[in-house]
Amino acid sequence: MQNNSLYGKKRRPMDTVLKTLINAAAAVTVITLLGIICYILVNGLPYISWRFISTPYSETKDELKGILPMIINTIYIVVITLLISAPIGISSAIYLTQYAKQGRLVKAIRFTTEVLSGIPSIIFGLFGYTVFCILFRLQTSILAGCLTMSICILPTIIRTTEESLLSVPSSYKEGAMALGAGKLRVVMGIVLPCAMPGVLTAVILAMGRIVGESAALLFTSGLSYNMPRGFWQQIFSSGRTLTLHLYQTAREAASPDAMHIAYATAAVLLILVFLLNRLAGLLSRMLKKG
Amino acid sequence: MMGAQQAQKDRKLNNRKKGLAVLLGLISVFTFFSLPYMRFVFKDTTYTVSGLQLAITKGFRVQGPTVSGLVTIPMLTRVAVIAGVLLAAAGIVLLLLNKASLAGAAFVLSGVTPLIVLITTSSIQEAVTQLNISKIVVGYLWPSIYVLIGGIVCAVLSLWTRGTEKLAESIFLVFSCVSVGSVIMITVYIIAAGAPAIVQIGLGHFLFGTQWNAEAGTFGILPLILSSIAGTLGAIVLGVPVGILTAVFLAETARPQVARLVHPAIELLAGIPSVVYGFFGMLVIVPVIRSFPPFQGHTIGDSLLAAIIILAVMVLPTIVSVTETSLKAVPQAYREASLALGATQTTTIFKVSIPAARSGILAGVILGVGRAIGETMAVIMVAGNVANMPSMLGTVRLLTTGIAMEMSYASGLHRQALFAIGLVLFVFIMIVNISFTYISKRGVQMDAE
Repeated sequence: MQNNSLYGKKRRPMDTVLKTLINAAAAVTVITLLGIICYILVNGLPYISWRFISTPYSETKDELKGILPMIINTIYIVVITLLISAPIGISSAIYLTQYAKQGRLVKAIRFTTEVLSGIPSIIFGLFGYTVFCILFRLQTSILAGCLTMSICILPTIIRTTEESLLSVPSSYKEGAMALGAGKLRVVMGIVLPCAMPGVLTAVILAMGRIVGESAALLFTSGLSYNMPRGFWQQIFSSGRTLTLHLYQTAREAASPDAMHIAYATAAVLLILVFLLNRLAGLLSRMLKKG
Repeated sequence: MMGAQQAQKDRKLNNRKKGLAVLLGLISVFTFFSLPYMRFVFKDTTYTVSGLQLAITKGFRVQGPTVSGLVTIPMLTRVAVIAGVLLAAAGIVLLLLNKASLAGAAFVLSGVTPLIVLITTSSIQEAVTQLNISKIVVGYLWPSIYVLIGGIVCAVLSLWTRGTEKLAESIFLVFSCVSVGSVIMITVYIIAAGAPAIVQIGLGHFLFGTQWNAEAGTFGILPLILSSIAGTLGAIVLGVPVGILTAVFLAETARPQVARLVHPAIELLAGIPSVVYGFFGMLVIVPVIRSFPPFQGHTIGDSLLAAIIILAVMVLPTIVSVTETSLKAVPQAYREASLALGATQTTTIFKVSIPAARSGILAGVILGVGRAIGETMAVIMVAGNVANMPSMLGTVRLLTTGIAMEMSYASGLHRQALFAIGLVLFVFIMIVNISFTYISKRGVQMDAE
């Protein structure tokens, strides 16, 4: 029976199917994420202890199975990389948004930033190995890893900073200029402070990228797990980060005991990434509110 | 009156900056002629040379354990050392002629020359190995480091004479050229490192050879290329429908509260390190494939299929976020018009919104392809890493994993072949990248119309 009433709802099987598909796809995505997170945390959390975080690591000695050296190496790499890359990235974003006139140079900068963000990290690893480790004679060292990573994260910093600089209302700038402030004063005194949450978001996103990176560091910063003795000595010698530690322990694990280390390292990594992610979300919400 | 005083003060300050820059530049030039620039320590002989000596002496006579010979200084090293001092001198002259920007450029270039010296002396290493001396220490003495730092300081000072504004703009400009320089450097070095092996093996043998056997010296990467393509295609076939529909959910059908919960989940998915994905795949997906009834006995679990599943999950966030952005950019009026014509929400989504956003969606897919081709660490943990022709349940080795697996112990032609794989991968990525730029630009133009 055909239902032509204005109030009756016509049934469209195709619509229902498509709607179900849409919901199913979203569910699949969320369930995958939750599955991965739960699996890692459930298996890893029980093995995280203060002892695990605060002792050095040794492949042979059973009582030394901590991840302290990897945590220190990761911190070194994050801090040094940001010290190199953040000023460069933020300056580029300032130049692109505040100074540059449309032209060939700006086009080239934008194009290369895009290209850089598409280059896979293994290529960065190869490049860093040939240039920083061999040509610059840094050998496999944390410093070589940092230099490689600074190129890696440049696009992240430039893009996010650029967005936040563009979101500063131009009336702020015009007001400052009308009061007689020079361009530098306007940029450093008005635009940059207003965009600060965005700039911080850029830095935190970059931190997340560095913490999660592995392929670019495999050849450049290496796999050594010695306990760092001093800052200067350590950055000129090889050291593995948390990600590479997870990779190495997971591949070499022969006994369930060894697997526990990998599980716990993965859980530590996930927690770190999650915290950084939340922090970035918080900051970008702050920026939106103004 | 006040203005005149101010101008006089400015001039005085400028002269001071100029004087300091000239002085530092002169020190650069002076160190070249007399102070020790570098030190070479061969087995038991030490040579300390100044810049001038480095430029004019022929080389070092070195006694090896069995043979002795002359280690020549590379031509480029000489050129770089001379260029360093000439550029510093040019900077001084230009500064005195009040050409501050040109002087700044000259000083920066002269500061770069020690780096070039550093790079070019690596060929001395090879010359020494031929004399059977494995150990050579190249020391950089403080004058060479001074040339680097002094050059940059001089450049800053000479630009500063034209005012703080100009100085700041120049610094921002130089920093924003870093990304251009990096891309050029990466391109040059990946080609320079990869091309020799391709030439030696032969392009046809390398690209279409089906055997990869490092011990036997046969390097054919057809299985790697095909596996990479198969893995990427599989990931796209699995990931794109789910990704696009999830984006539709987020941008069109979901209630705002739900979208606010799902959105951070996507971001988190993008932030999970690839090693963690690989770890998960190794411990969950691989065993499931191994013990899945229809496959049982046909596979050890590490397989192309496992790689495809992991890659599909990894490309999801890219596809979702790009698609979502482009769906949200579709003007609301399109949807309203469609709904006003009596179309249902679903019809509107599939007949209006998605077609209107198609160039953005395509860009997202291409970006996903780039991610999938380049992914290394997750795949290495699940794919089995044997250079077989791709089959769904068999072990495979992809381009990326081929590099990462053997790099640590490879040497000679084997190592060069790995760099050549890097070059092939780089070419793939550049094709993907450039088509992405092209398509996303076309999308913007369409919106502008």
